[in-house]
Amino acid sequence: MVNGPPSYAATSTTLPRTQRPPLNGHKSLSGDGVTRTKILLLGLRRAGKTSIQQVLFNNLPPKQTFYLETTMRIVKHTFDTVIPLEIWDCPGNITVETLGAPLSQFATMIFVIDIRDLYNQPISKLVEFIVAAYQANPDMSLEVFVHKAEKLQEDDKIENFRQIHERVSDRLLDIAPEYEQVQLNFHLTSVYDHSLHEAFSKVLHKLVDSLPYLEDLLNVFCANSQSPKAFLFDTTSRLYIATDASPVDSATFNLCCDYLQMLNSFGTLYKSAAADARRPLPTTPPPSASSTSSPSRGPTASDPGTPTGTEGTSTPNATTLRPSRDLFYPSASTSLHPSTPGTTLTYHLITPQLALLALLPTSVYEGRRGLIEFNVVFFREGVQEISQVEKEARTGG
Amino acid sequence: MKKKVLLMGASGSGKTSMRSLIFSNNPASLTARLGATIDVEQNHVRFLGDLILNLWDCGGQDAFMDSYLTTQRSTIFQHVGVMIYVFDIESQGMNKDLEYYRDCLEGLKQYSPEAAVFLLVHKMDLAREPKNVVFEKKKRELEEASGEGAVTVFGTSIYDESLYKAWSSIVHTLIPNASVLSRHLTTFAAACSATEVVLFERTTFLVIATSSPVTPPSLPGATAEQTDLDRHELNPTRYERTSELVKAFKHSCSRVREEFHSLEMELYDFTAVLDEMTRNTYVLVIVHDPTIETAALKLNIRMARRKFEELQGDSLLS
Repeated sequence: MVNGPPSYAATSTTLPRTQRPPLNGHKSLSGDGVTRTKILLLGLRRAGKTSIQQVLFNNLPPKQTFYLETTMRIVKHTFDTVIPLEIWDCPGNITVETLGAPLSQFATMIFVIDIRDLYNQPISKLVEFIVAAYQANPDMSLEVFVHKAEKLQEDDKIENFRQIHERVSDRLLDIAPEYEQVQLNFHLTSVYDHSLHEAFSKVLHKLVDSLPYLEDLLNVFCANSQSPKAFLFDTTSRLYIATDASPVDSATFNLCCDYLQMLNSFGTLYKSAAADARRPLPTTPPPSASSTSSPSRGPTASDPGTPTGTEGTSTPNATTLRPSRDLFYPSASTSLHPSTPGTTLTYHLITPQLALLALLPTSVYEGRRGLIEFNVVFFREGVQEISQVEKEARTGG
Repeated sequence: MKKKVLLMGASGSGKTSMRSLIFSNNPASLTARLGATIDVEQNHVRFLGDLILNLWDCGGQDAFMDSYLTTQRSTIFQHVGVMIYVFDIESQGMNKDLEYYRDCLEGLKQYSPEAAVFLLVHKMDLAREPKNVVFEKKKRELEEASGEGAVTVFGTSIYDESLYKAWSSIVHTLIPNASVLSRHLTTFAAACSATEVVLFERTTFLVIATSSPVTPPSLPGATAEQTDLDRHELNPTRYERTSELVKAFKHSCSRVREEFHSLEMELYDFTAVLDEMTRNTYVLVIVHDPTIETAALKLNIRMARRKFEELQGDSLLS
């Protein structure tokens, strides 16, 4: 179990900045001096674009999405997770011309279609954008969210999903045979369950350049802790940033998502007015429903290991990366029955935004908790180093 | 020991929905599938081991209501421990609802004069803004209709924690020795250096007792003593929020065929352990002292188990 350190060291050495893929044009400098990865959110009026953005990044209860007002102009939302994102929530009537920015700027285009909308209009619009996007940047990842899946029964759901998929492909082929090679990813989503989180997580994975290293760290952690499954989650949006090599089973993902939601809600529930400042905190808000989408608060203020005002100071001193010993990182665990030998679901905060959720055999967790926590510390250091490198690349470059 | 609980109200007011939510661990989203209740559905719910709640979910259609008030009158209104009358906040026929309600009160007075009466103004999520004004108006109207009999009115919704608050106070009146449990929880809290200790029923996760003296919500004017707990200014909805959160997570666990067993948290603001206390209760220990480890709390809970099993046995024999 303690052979974590050597392999961990091996993974982190694969991270010199020279080997990293160069920053593409689709990441642009935003107001706060950070290079943000841009995501374009498109779809017809009332398809559910703003609902998706609000439910994921603003903690809006799904039932409340009904009251959202129509988006009239492009709204740019920033969100800081393992990488800084900028999500462009567009009104339904937007066209390639009225977008006001070249499509090549965007790393991802997400097109939202209401699952009940099998007609010509959304599909023409989608095809129009796909063609334009493909010409501007063939590497852009193109995602289609077949949304509001909860509105239909199981059979109709699959049938409509398949039909939309087929029609889009047919239309693309009609235009030109070369579009057959366009890689389109279809996801069935709904704000009322975790399918939206799972789909958006998959979209996000394609944007995180450091994903292989994070995955390696998770693999090492799982192997050394006898964990059958571990996720690195973004705590506020409940998207998973990375997971180990074992296949993701939706049921487990849903459980982790619900667990994180419960912990987020508990976070401030028993907050005491008399006993504040009791923990040596990392310089961040607790992992609660607080607004992380505020654009001005860039990542400079949110990493525990960073000296303040690093902008421009490109002296990555290795010692500043190490979390000092007295920082407090919240953790939690819940034990589940009756499966033998029993499973424990653990939660450990890794950076102010990210948390490690792992399934562990209860016997291992109870019997060798110290070693598990030791492994978590190594995992945390690895992830923090990766985030640090990512941040330097985005602020310095 | 058996306690009869009458669940009454107009058709479609939400009686069966709340029963399924509280006692069957179903999520709110599934209540739309429930059909109308025909006549009376009787349920025996084992609550706290030896206390059995005999729930009478009375279908609210006029034909049934008329029969409850006439031919079945003695069967329905005999030996009632608690009557819960549910009103839809957006009800179209309030006059008729009130008429039936007065008739039911009459029947209750005749056969079970000792029974407690709780009025739930339900579906508060659908109420027009400003919700609290709408609710206060309804509450006054209902208190007027109830005459001199003491009633407790709650605004509830299946989509938030308010339903747990209402039901927790309802079952609190049915537990014979809640104050003794409360006193022992206070001792236990002191032993753990805990800010607060809360005892939940196992299946429903309704609050049975807490370590701090609870001022009944029906007496808003009651002067709360300046206790240690007041200093912390904890969120007033924390108990019912906890019930709701844990219930929701239990449901998630059951979907993957796991069963929730225990939870411990060391968060920025507090340390907490939620674990089994007795066969049918769970205890939540909240600590604000960062030097106290969860393992110590767990050990204390284990040590206290036998005492609480005894207490529970005692309280139910009386």
